[in-house]
Amino acid sequence: MTAATETDRALVDRVAKGDRAAVRLLFMRHHARVYRFVVRQTGSEMMADDIANEVFLELWRQAPGFEGRSEVSTWLLGIARFKALSMLRKKKEDWIDDDDAAQVPDSADTPEVATMKEDKGAALRRFVDALPEEHRSVIDLAYYHGQSVTEIGEVLNIPVATVKTRMFYARKKLGEALKAAGYDRGWP
Amino acid sequence: MSAADKMSRRDEMETLLPFYLNGSLEGSDLEAVEEWLATDPAAMAALGEAEAEFSGTTAANEAIRPPADALSRFAKALDAEAGPVRAPAGRSWLAQALGRFTAMPATVGWAAAAVLLALVVVQSYVHTGGKGNDFEIAGAEDDLAKLPFALVKFKPDAKMSDIAVFLDQNGLKIAGGPTASGVFRIAIPAKTGADYTKLVGLIAAQPFAETVIEGRKPVDGG
Repeated sequence: MTAATETDRALVDRVAKGDRAAVRLLFMRHHARVYRFVVRQTGSEMMADDIANEVFLELWRQAPGFEGRSEVSTWLLGIARFKALSMLRKKKEDWIDDDDAAQVPDSADTPEVATMKEDKGAALRRFVDALPEEHRSVIDLAYYHGQSVTEIGEVLNIPVATVKTRMFYARKKLGEALKAAGYDRGWP
Repeated sequence: MSAADKMSRRDEMETLLPFYLNGSLEGSDLEAVEEWLATDPAAMAALGEAEAEFSGTTAANEAIRPPADALSRFAKALDAEAGPVRAPAGRSWLAQALGRFTAMPATVGWAAAAVLLALVVVQSYVHTGGKGNDFEIAGAEDDLAKLPFALVKFKPDAKMSDIAVFLDQNGLKIAGGPTASGVFRIAIPAKTGADYTKLVGLIAAQPFAETVIEGRKPVDGG
């Protein structure tokens, strides 16, 4: 089996035996998605860089105990989520820096003016970004990370019914925002 | 009754569409969505709207660019993290001890550092035949005790892995410490005073450094 086709679980087994090449392969496969997930969670690229590295060091430490009850990607996102929440709690007031400031949307235009300047796709992207974190997380995990209802429940540590409720309200808010911007899609 | 219980059929289908699109839907939920798509004239338009959300979310995520040097920095942190059992052959006893030290959680690590350095002191005594030196917490490897040094106190929340990577990148070594007040002696491999000042300044600029005090400088005096 080549490295390209070796499953994530097989690689975790190798990591558990102390194989550093295997953990580097898993890093290459999953780092970008983990990093982006944490940026979306925290709004800070600096914090995401630190946390994403820590996630893979955690993989190195915990690989011997990995039982394969979930996909490796789900496991990594769960670790990332936990670390992001911990760091947010710890650093709540300390992380307003230039990096964050650069990500604050330009408020020179009112939302109405901004919407007039962009097409529906761009407006939708902006509305997704503006969702509350608990709603944006389920949208990101379903659409970008390809996670199932059950897997999202594992990553966010919430019941399946809550995942569905958050998805419902997230999509409802997107529909309402689009409608307010002149793009009525017929629901809600 | 929860919000989910109050959903209309349309609401339920709209909730499931993202999972239909990402291919994770199965069983009765999958059958329900497929049946809805086949029978409700509004369903295909709704699917199109969900596809637009899918594209928008993907674009928003992929606009975030991970740092280009992420893998190389991770590889260094991993090397610093890995313990002696997994370490390549030929690492020095001090590097292995530091590896064990850096693998520990920070709070445990600082306490363990005292034990580690106690071993350094003992080893120094053995290696030098019991001859004294000018600093009570001096280490032994590579004549570290003879090198120029600075005294450094790290912040309480400093990460072991960050410190180890930084030391490795700059050819620095822990030569002793911590003292009761948490001060480490860092050996500075500088040949001139200018090099020494530059390296000490670099240490002081690190986010994990709380206090840096100049110690013995190279013979040119800097």
